[in-house]
Amino acid sequence: MTYATLIFAPIALAFVGYALFSQRGNVVRGIALTTFALQFIVAIGLYNQLPATGYLDLGAFLSVDAFHFALSLRVDTLSVVMLLLSTMLLILVTLSSWTMEKSAAYFSLLIGFSGAIMGVFMTTNLLWFFIFWELTLLPMFFLVGIWGGEQRVYAAIKFFLYTHVASMLLLLALFLIYKQTGVWDVTLIKEAAIATPALVWWLLFIGFAVKMPLFPFHTWLPDAHVQAPAPVSALLAGVLLKMGAYGLIRFVIELMPEVSREHALYMLTLGLLTAFFAGLLAIYEQHLKKMVAYSSISHMGLVMVALSTVTVEGLSAALFEMVGHAFIISPLFLIAGMIYHQTGSYQMRDMGGMMQKAPYLSAIFVLAGMAALGMPATMGFVGELTVYLSAIAHYGAWVAIIALLSMLSAGYLIWSMRRVIYGELSPLMRNSQFVIHRIEFAALVVFGLLIVLFGVYPQPIFDAANHSFAYFGGRS
Amino acid sequence: MNNTITFLALFPFIGALLAFVLGKQQAKLAFWTAEGVSALLFLATLWLAYQYSTPISIDHTWLTFGTRSLPFGFYVDGLSIVMLLIATGLGFLDIHFAHDYMAEDKDQARYYAKVLFFIGGMILLVMAKDMIGLFVGWEFMGLASYLLISFWHSQKAPSDAGMQAFLYTRFGDMFIFAAIGLLLYFVGTLNLVEINTLAQAGGIDHSVAFIIALFIFIGAIGKSGQFPLFPWLMNAMEGPTTVSALIHGATMVNAGIYIVARLFDFYLSTEALLIVANIAAISAFIGATSALVQTEIKKVLAYSTMSHLALAFVGLGVGSLAAGMMHLVNHAVFKALLFLSAGAVILAAHHHKDLWQFGGLRGKLPFIAAFMAIGALSLSGIPPFSGFFSKDAVLTAALRNPETQGLIATLTTIAALLSIAYIGRVWLLLFSGEARDANLHQSIQRPSLFWIALPLLIMSVLTLMLGFYQSEIATFITGKTEASPHIDGLLTGLIIGLSILALIVVGLYAKDLTLVKKMAQHPFLSMLHQLLFHGYYVEAMINWFSQHAVVNGAAKASAWFDKRAIDASVNGFVPATQTAFNGLKTTQTGRIGDYIALMVAGLAVLLIVMMVGI
Amino acid sequence: MSPFALVFGTALLSPLISHTRWLKGLSLLILAIAGFNLSLGEGIGLTYFAQTDAIRFFEGIILIVAAAIVLHFDHDDHGTLTQLLLIVAASMALLESSTLLSFVITFEAMSIISFVLVSNIKDSKQAEGAIKLFFTGATATGIILFGLALFTLSGHSIDTALGNDYDAFSLIALSLIFIGILYKLTIFPMHAWAADSYAQVSHSNAAILSALMKTVVAVATFHLFSPVLAQLSMPSIYGLATLAVITMTLGNMLALYQRNIARMLAYSSIAHAGYMLIPFAAIASQFAHIGLLYLAVAYLFMQTAVFLILARLYQDDGIETLADLKGLAQRNPLYALLFSVQLLSLAGIPLLAGFMSKAVAFYAGVDAGLWLFVLIALLNSALSVGYYAWIIKQLYFDAPTKDRPLVSRLGFVLGELILVAGTLYFGVVAIDVFKVIGGN
Repeated sequence: MTYATLIFAPIALAFVGYALFSQRGNVVRGIALTTFALQFIVAIGLYNQLPATGYLDLGAFLSVDAFHFALSLRVDTLSVVMLLLSTMLLILVTLSSWTMEKSAAYFSLLIGFSGAIMGVFMTTNLLWFFIFWELTLLPMFFLVGIWGGEQRVYAAIKFFLYTHVASMLLLLALFLIYKQTGVWDVTLIKEAAIATPALVWWLLFIGFAVKMPLFPFHTWLPDAHVQAPAPVSALLAGVLLKMGAYGLIRFVIELMPEVSREHALYMLTLGLLTAFFAGLLAIYEQHLKKMVAYSSISHMGLVMVALSTVTVEGLSAALFEMVGHAFIISPLFLIAGMIYHQTGSYQMRDMGGMMQKAPYLSAIFVLAGMAALGMPATMGFVGELTVYLSAIAHYGAWVAIIALLSMLSAGYLIWSMRRVIYGELSPLMRNSQFVIHRIEFAALVVFGLLIVLFGVYPQPIFDAANHSFAYFGGRS
Repeated sequence: MNNTITFLALFPFIGALLAFVLGKQQAKLAFWTAEGVSALLFLATLWLAYQYSTPISIDHTWLTFGTRSLPFGFYVDGLSIVMLLIATGLGFLDIHFAHDYMAEDKDQARYYAKVLFFIGGMILLVMAKDMIGLFVGWEFMGLASYLLISFWHSQKAPSDAGMQAFLYTRFGDMFIFAAIGLLLYFVGTLNLVEINTLAQAGGIDHSVAFIIALFIFIGAIGKSGQFPLFPWLMNAMEGPTTVSALIHGATMVNAGIYIVARLFDFYLSTEALLIVANIAAISAFIGATSALVQTEIKKVLAYSTMSHLALAFVGLGVGSLAAGMMHLVNHAVFKALLFLSAGAVILAAHHHKDLWQFGGLRGKLPFIAAFMAIGALSLSGIPPFSGFFSKDAVLTAALRNPETQGLIATLTTIAALLSIAYIGRVWLLLFSGEARDANLHQSIQRPSLFWIALPLLIMSVLTLMLGFYQSEIATFITGKTEASPHIDGLLTGLIIGLSILALIVVGLYAKDLTLVKKMAQHPFLSMLHQLLFHGYYVEAMINWFSQHAVVNGAAKASAWFDKRAIDASVNGFVPATQTAFNGLKTTQTGRIGDYIALMVAGLAVLLIVMMVGI
Repeated sequence: MSPFALVFGTALLSPLISHTRWLKGLSLLILAIAGFNLSLGEGIGLTYFAQTDAIRFFEGIILIVAAAIVLHFDHDDHGTLTQLLLIVAASMALLESSTLLSFVITFEAMSIISFVLVSNIKDSKQAEGAIKLFFTGATATGIILFGLALFTLSGHSIDTALGNDYDAFSLIALSLIFIGILYKLTIFPMHAWAADSYAQVSHSNAAILSALMKTVVAVATFHLFSPVLAQLSMPSIYGLATLAVITMTLGNMLALYQRNIARMLAYSSIAHAGYMLIPFAAIASQFAHIGLLYLAVAYLFMQTAVFLILARLYQDDGIETLADLKGLAQRNPLYALLFSVQLLSLAGIPLLAGFMSKAVAFYAGVDAGLWLFVLIALLNSALSVGYYAWIIKQLYFDAPTKDRPLVSRLGFVLGELILVAGTLYFGVVAIDVFKVIGGN
């Protein structure tokens, strides 16, 4: 079996599965779970095979020598961590969408998405990376557009167009890199060979920043996240946003560490602006899911802050924060979706007293919320702390203003908990039943356990991070 | 010893989980688990205290990222052990008391799990060797207090109070979080002991140390309910009274004092101590005066906590670790006693809390009256109860320090004296005179001796006994021989002041309340009353700020900017392309003549371009 | 027997059996045989004609696409079938032309066939489209012939291959010819007719006009003119690139808010002409030739497919406007899927030929130093998602307005499957296109 199968088989399977079982969603769901589980197992296998340094070569396919173009698959610790995270999230998202309607098409799209995601994280060829990068848009476009809320069409098209336009800058940057260096493979490119580093850097940076998303390129996200069905929001936050951060690490910071260092202050400023601006937006927001979306943006701002240091510490902290963000924001989105499903409203002013109706659901919301505001013993704290420490060690004392974020996040999260979970039963809540399918609930519990597990014992993720970035800078 | 410490650090959390799981099977199991767990914790602490000779230090690396490691070690010395004894001992009594107090609650599993978690947070905090562990315990208590204050989540007031408690304390936590980074950046270590040693050796830049000390103190202000972050402490009274006792006696509010005490050498090397003393003096005064006019039993006690913690802070602020810590220890015990006594009254009165509804309970609840009297006397600083000694020590220290002799000492003395007035008022309104609400009086039941009176008895005995071991405990805490200094005349002055105040209070509240009511009619006094009753309107100001400056100010402006500028410029592409479309559409006339004309014209232009190029 | 002769002969003889049911089958058979002969390396074999690997490859693609179009036809479309075969034959001749003379002659022959093709008029709208095609075509012919006359005046012979050492006068003459040809490529300012004609003639004819003929002209022109283009100075190259950029922007802008699907696709065709001009401007790059060929191959598959689907939908269900498309995915998921894949390919979404071809062609632009133009082209390509996605929105996100199910037709589906296979194959496997250009 070649590793290219991991990418193309799910994409083909998406069509075949849908064609064969278009009326039997349960079968497709089973296929989806099996696919994701297999991918997860393969990713674990890859993790165990990783060499002490550098990349594990998985072969090259579809070579075009005249164009130095081949689907070269190489993974290192960073990519495998991303693979593990994505496949794990896909499994959990599948469980969370257990009762989704039009399920055959839905799960087919998820299967196709998984193939594209594998491609994104496995290939080191710039153009193939771009191909899979863009390919992920398609399933998301349909998932938002078909299963979304009232303004789903607006959100889906805005999402598609906005990120696609940004990708064009990225593509131009990749063209320039190839023109100037003569290779598409990121592992073979030397920073010094890039003739117009600043131009390439900015094009790449903006291309990835939109996906992250960074201020002021973030406005597609609240719309897409809010309109998407909850599991898809979780996927967007957990996987798609991570692609942006992954791209920044692999194709900006690792590729051009020197130029990145020169531009560190821009990155830092944008990261801080994102974090604070989104935090303030979250405070003002009445819409539960939008509040979660802004919280998500705010945390990605922190990731950017850590990345901007271009140090091993910063990158490790960023990686941890990325993983943490995926596990923390996902349950928040899922629960917001469940609340909407039960009450028909996202407006926090209409809610209240959910603890009386659904105590365990509320407890997980509180747990995830606490993690999002950086409560110790959750991943949120470890992420925030390491990001902060790496940034202050690199930039100096004034970075202590990051601490203000912990107040902001407490502000919007605690206040939203007050409005949604605590207090007297609102009429809307009183009339809601909160019947949650037990598998969907189980997925939430898993998220909760992961948040606490890695919050108390974060070293495995940092081991992986240290491994990923240990030789950072040495490969020039 | 190391095993004991590990046990202490982990067992509360395991116990919390256990209490919850078992309690979900059968409600009573939750209590018994909690009782057992807290008893074991207390015994372990006693064992630790018994074995203790030199500070125990356990190093442990929590995580390594890049070249940097974050430690999570434990350090147990006399100070820690005393704090541990308070946390686990009072915690145990509190849980014991809750057997009856929470008997009718349907969420016992949740209650006891949270209480154990709370105690666990305090244990972590006081055993932490590094800022990280300290912050973890610190935040755990923030979380636990949030969950416990809003324990009755289905009502509005507790929910609001929980949120407020979390946000106010979080405001302080933010500064501690910042301080962690600053310490790492400037000092290079997060180890509390090393920080002290370095500071003593003058190894920390002065201005840096001042900022860090200030930041940490702001955190302490939040946790210990000092000015201006105190309003949460009063509203936290919405939680169960046992929780209040826990917060005010055993755990949470002590944390603020503890952190300053733990870093005392560091503080000594900076000018921040003076700020501590100033803030504390103001807090003591605000707390004491506001306590005078509260109508709820628990609110009086809450303001008195604020005031007395402030006294402890003054002790630290004027440079006496022993005075501050001793007052904290004494306060922890008698305040727990007072709260639980109040809880007993409230329980007996079916959760009525308004002082003016009571009166003449002496006959109905004689034991409680006696126990509460002991607590009240200790709080007032009447010898030979414990409160007297530490209060005396604090005042002495304040007067002896040339920098604090003036305003700080004055405010502190006023606050110290006023305590007899407000606590005497509470006691008198509860137990003396006539029953003001006959129905309520009728319905009052005598509480259980074993579950309610026994913990009170133990605490009363402790309050009595503590007074005689002041210098021993102080020595144990500081590791140095502490003799209690004296200023001649201070004692006499205090006694005279206290007596006068006591007479006034007895005169006003013991039997006939008509004079009090008449005073309330007076315009100036009623204005003053309002000011004090609302805690100098600090809460209103903070609310105003957060409402208008943050939510409707910065946040609203951001939302406006996001929508009207950023997103609008993105969405603006749609009308722009629409305009372009409509404009260009007019070129598509549909007439062949136009098209051919365009072709020919274009041809001409292109040829010219080509020719230029050639 | 040369493929050209085979197809041409069949076309000439086809009226004889046009009333039987065999013509469709026969045409497919002939196309298959022609393909086989082509694979053996047979060209026209006449003077003034020459075949390269790239041309042979492209001719093969034309045969495949022609087969798909044939499959799409109903049995009563015999007139059109004959003309299709004629066009295929003419395309081969045009592609293989190695001199100006043969090029102009076959080019004009092709134009005339196209006039005949659209003269199968059924209503006034189609008449209008046909007339526009004719008049503008005639004007362009005039320009081309004028240029040819000037070229001969300059003392060059027109029956040899174009060289690379022309003086200013002959370059202007050649430019005139080139500009005349741009009309067929619907480059601004000669684009206006195309939008009307493509939208107004029948959709299957539009498929032939906008996909087959356009790509053939583009590839053949590049083939013949590349030595001349290489001589152009930078300002002229920038002029060419500017034309490309204007054309694509114009096309995309005008397509954005169209309600009529055919018109939207017509404008999208103009936009694609703009993309195809990029490799012309990027002649300095070694990838220009591959880029153009790739663009042509990809465009041939996807543009033919969308117009054929449109023809089918119009014929079976009267679908003309975007609103008519609502909920098609529920009425016929297969059609919707086929349509979407091709639209996404047109939009340049990866793993489809549309992306890969644009990537190579635009890279050629970057390679030739035209990165700012390429940036505009890329943004244009992104902008085009706006209207392609809007069609897909109608297909998938909206509820159907009609209940009547839409029955899939076997022949049509087969044809479409061939086309979609091409779109997918060339989206993943790039090597085949690179191979035929050989080593460079």
